[in-house]
Amino acid sequence: MTGGPTAYSFDWSAVARGLPYLLEGAALTVLISAVAMVLALGVGLGLAALSQVPGRLPPRMVAADVEVFRNTPLLIQIFIVYFGLPQLGLKLSPFLSGLSALVLYAAAYNAEIFRAGLEAVPKGQFEAARSTGLTELQALRYVIVPQAVRISFPALGNNLVSLVKNSSLVSTIGMVELMFVANDISFNNFRTFEIYGAAAVLYIVLVLALTRLLRLAEERLLPAP
Amino acid sequence: MTSSRRRMLGIVIAALVAALGAAGWAEAQSALETVKKRGKLIAGVKTDFPPFGTIDSGGQNVGFDVDVAHLFARALFNDEHQVELVAVTSGNRIPFLQSGKIDIIIATVTITDERRQVVEFSEPYFMSGSLLLVPRSSPVRGLDDLAGKTVAVVQGAIQDKDVEQLQPRANRIKFGKVSEAVLAVKGGRADAYVHDDIVILSLAKENSDLKAVGKPFVPRPYGIAVRKGDTEFIQWVNAQLGRMRQDGTYDRLWRKYFADVEAQLVKP
Repeated sequence: MTGGPTAYSFDWSAVARGLPYLLEGAALTVLISAVAMVLALGVGLGLAALSQVPGRLPPRMVAADVEVFRNTPLLIQIFIVYFGLPQLGLKLSPFLSGLSALVLYAAAYNAEIFRAGLEAVPKGQFEAARSTGLTELQALRYVIVPQAVRISFPALGNNLVSLVKNSSLVSTIGMVELMFVANDISFNNFRTFEIYGAAAVLYIVLVLALTRLLRLAEERLLPAP
Repeated sequence: MTSSRRRMLGIVIAALVAALGAAGWAEAQSALETVKKRGKLIAGVKTDFPPFGTIDSGGQNVGFDVDVAHLFARALFNDEHQVELVAVTSGNRIPFLQSGKIDIIIATVTITDERRQVVEFSEPYFMSGSLLLVPRSSPVRGLDDLAGKTVAVVQGAIQDKDVEQLQPRANRIKFGKVSEAVLAVKGGRADAYVHDDIVILSLAKENSDLKAVGKPFVPRPYGIAVRKGDTEFIQWVNAQLGRMRQDGTYDRLWRKYFADVEAQLVKP
């Protein structure tokens, strides 16, 4: 505190007035997060599979991708896609710019999570599956991947929760999602605590809903063996 | 829930309530007294807003507002270096003041009725209208040409509302910083960027691929801001501004920073 009179007294009616706009923002947060999640799972699984391909090149390419996208701040990736790529002639819409950065970032983590899951399945499992007459792909499809997914699930859930929160960074490129709306309202009515507090509560609600969905998915799709 | 957990929850809630209540209390002392006791003024200035507040190639804060902050430090402590400059944006400067991160905003704050309700403003020290920054080859000549176009504005700046009212058919895209809005125009993300005339003129001068267009619209004054109700501090600020006008300091700063664009500015 620097001292002097504080001009602050709470006005929670500001939250009520801002709520419709905040919910609009939350809807875009849900949309971009959900699409990014599905794509990041697919890309992450693809990368993890590629990392298991025999030969030197594919695993190295995956490792390079992971190092680039995991070791740089997401904000820089968003700015490169949104501000940088148009100078090279590739102009994605703000939504696609934010989405692709989110997907590449989350997929790098997902790839590592899936890879760890795949490598945690004992080698003997693969050999045993092959000896029952399954082809390599069948052995992966029916024996290895289901176990790998179960092993990966908790870490995967954490990463998806991070993705929802990280989606707030696309507010910097003018995407009117929850964080953007919170800025927009509080920069004009100066009810900083109330508005950011309300946004934080909405994020908690979104993440709680997501974790509940993940638990249901785990129970349904991956019944305990 | 076990009883110890319940007790813990009770303590947390009580602490929260106490914190919220305490935050609402007004402090009796003027920030001016705190600043004197501390021996240093903490001022919020812009860092991407030529010629009021930028960072030079050596990493130093420079600009009209920065000079004013140094003059205030000299008046307070007889040493112009007894000031800590905190980078602020149009969006966060008033929250920074309210939360006590800074003592004073010297950062191109346009005086508006909404802002008067939450901060204490000094006498005006500059007049600014708004202009458009567009690519050099753009056919856009003013607000009228922006129907159906994408217009960049800075979040928290008055132009956000101005453009909404004066050109409702424009599609506004809002950025947190001046630099990002400029990038948006350069990269074709926006057809124009609307902000205070002085910054648009300076940016057009610095960027040969951009130009300033339009007639300055809705001219309004800039004020220095302190926390709401701190009349002692704002009277001190006004006395300093009055002295700067009388002893020629203000004219010297005007010539230093605005001489080359003077013809296009709104006279105070």
